[in-house]
Amino acid sequence: MNADEIDAQIRAIAAERRLPPSHLERWLAMDQPSRAAMLEIANTLRLRTGQLVAALDTLEEIAVREHVTVAAVLDHPEIRRISRRSGSAPSRASALLEQLRALRYPLLKEMQDDLRAEVSALNLPRGISLDLPKELGSDELTVSLRVRSGAELAHLLEALDRKRAGLTRIVEMLGGKREKNEI
Amino acid sequence: MKFDLDAVHVEGECADSALATRVLRALPRDVPVTHLPDARGATKPVSGARDPFGAGKRRLVIARRKTPFLIPCPAGSSKFACCGYLVLTLASNCPMDCSYCFLQEYLADNPSFQVYANYTDSFDELDRLADNARGRSFRVGTGELADSLAFDSLTAISRDLINFFAARENLTLELKTKTDEIGNLLAMDPRGRVLVSWTLSPDAVYRSSEHLTASPAARIAAARAVLDAGYRVAFHFDPLIAYPDAERDYLLLIDDLLDNVPPKQISFISMGGLRMTPRLRGAARSRFPGDPMLCGEDVLASDGRFRTFTPLRLSLYRTLAERFRKVGAEIPAYLCMEPASVHEHVFGAAPSRPATIGERLARG
Repeated sequence: MNADEIDAQIRAIAAERRLPPSHLERWLAMDQPSRAAMLEIANTLRLRTGQLVAALDTLEEIAVREHVTVAAVLDHPEIRRISRRSGSAPSRASALLEQLRALRYPLLKEMQDDLRAEVSALNLPRGISLDLPKELGSDELTVSLRVRSGAELAHLLEALDRKRAGLTRIVEMLGGKREKNEI
Repeated sequence: MKFDLDAVHVEGECADSALATRVLRALPRDVPVTHLPDARGATKPVSGARDPFGAGKRRLVIARRKTPFLIPCPAGSSKFACCGYLVLTLASNCPMDCSYCFLQEYLADNPSFQVYANYTDSFDELDRLADNARGRSFRVGTGELADSLAFDSLTAISRDLINFFAARENLTLELKTKTDEIGNLLAMDPRGRVLVSWTLSPDAVYRSSEHLTASPAARIAAARAVLDAGYRVAFHFDPLIAYPDAERDYLLLIDDLLDNVPPKQISFISMGGLRMTPRLRGAARSRFPGDPMLCGEDVLASDGRFRTFTPLRLSLYRTLAERFRKVGAEIPAYLCMEPASVHEHVFGAAPSRPATIGERLARG
């Protein structure tokens, strides 16, 4: 496909999906390999409007952050794998957005994984739940108890007390404390 | 610093003011000057401009301020542990153009670069403040809605301010800047009542985001010069931006600072992570689409602003605070627009009340 054909297809897909004009404008403003790579993945995974918007936004941010083109981001092995693997288009589209988010927020993902592992390692009894702040947007850990009797309450409080060190560690991790805080 | 002005508008009743006379005398001859009976229209966005905010920066309006000059810091909120800062608004907007600047949202509807000809009226407000609270000390700054010194080569307002504050026991003036425009300051005796503070960022942030500002090295050199001239100095690591290598770069910056300014002579430091409302984020990214500093790992926080996700942001605060602690000078420090719990994580203790912090920072 030449550049004109690519742009015509981009305009067609944008019209069909009712893509906001600002997003169409930004798509068309990309370098030609990026325009084409984006078009290919939009077609292959049959991205819906919201997915297309999210993908364009995230891709642009990654490209700016990493000083690379959108085509280079889409050439990432994990994204190529999602694009080529079997499975339904909607599930692959979700996987694409998840992978783009992991590329866009690498440290956040790593921290969330670490914290989830800490929570899981506590092995808390049923009736106690720990909720990490959404997207780690605060330092607040929510601890909930679900009980129906005094005995249950006593049992869960004892369990919490036994896990005090692990819980404190999670709160400190949310507060920016690292294993090695040496400079 | 160099001004790129497209036009100057002078409100009628200010035409003979000392400020207008000084500014018009200092202006390049090719800048058109218009006299208007009412300058309010001239403060609005330039219609049809591709970048109305940027165009506003190049249009200087000399007008009379009709509302109080002295206000509590507009960033203050009961959600945050604040520093008791009082803002003296003598100008609005700034000739420099930082990609992350909150003025892009705050002044979106009146972006012209305004300077208030009746600024000496603010002295009455300040005297009333001091008279009504004898025994208390206040830190008053002019660097919230404008850079305190960016326009000083044109206006020379700093001279009147320093003379005023030098004679007031319980008022401390903070001139906050990203420039090295200290010429007027060096000719004055502040008598310990004037603090000059610099926002400091690593070279990577300066090059990527802080357009038309002085380099970090030039800011530090200017700090050393005013310190030697009898001023107190302070430093704001705000916005703190968590880009890759940020930790290393900020620590190098602190090393540079402490090589030039002895820690015991730093009145205080502040830190504040980059925070942007969705509207500001949109405006900033639209004006600076290629700035990687605007594409950090920011998430929507509970106060409705995009901020670097909490553990990463707090880890950076902790690292900087620890480095200052290690030099052993007990430099007073506070966090801007952060809740009390974050202070506890970073400094290991709950913050004092804003008025108490304000007094401590004012007294030095």
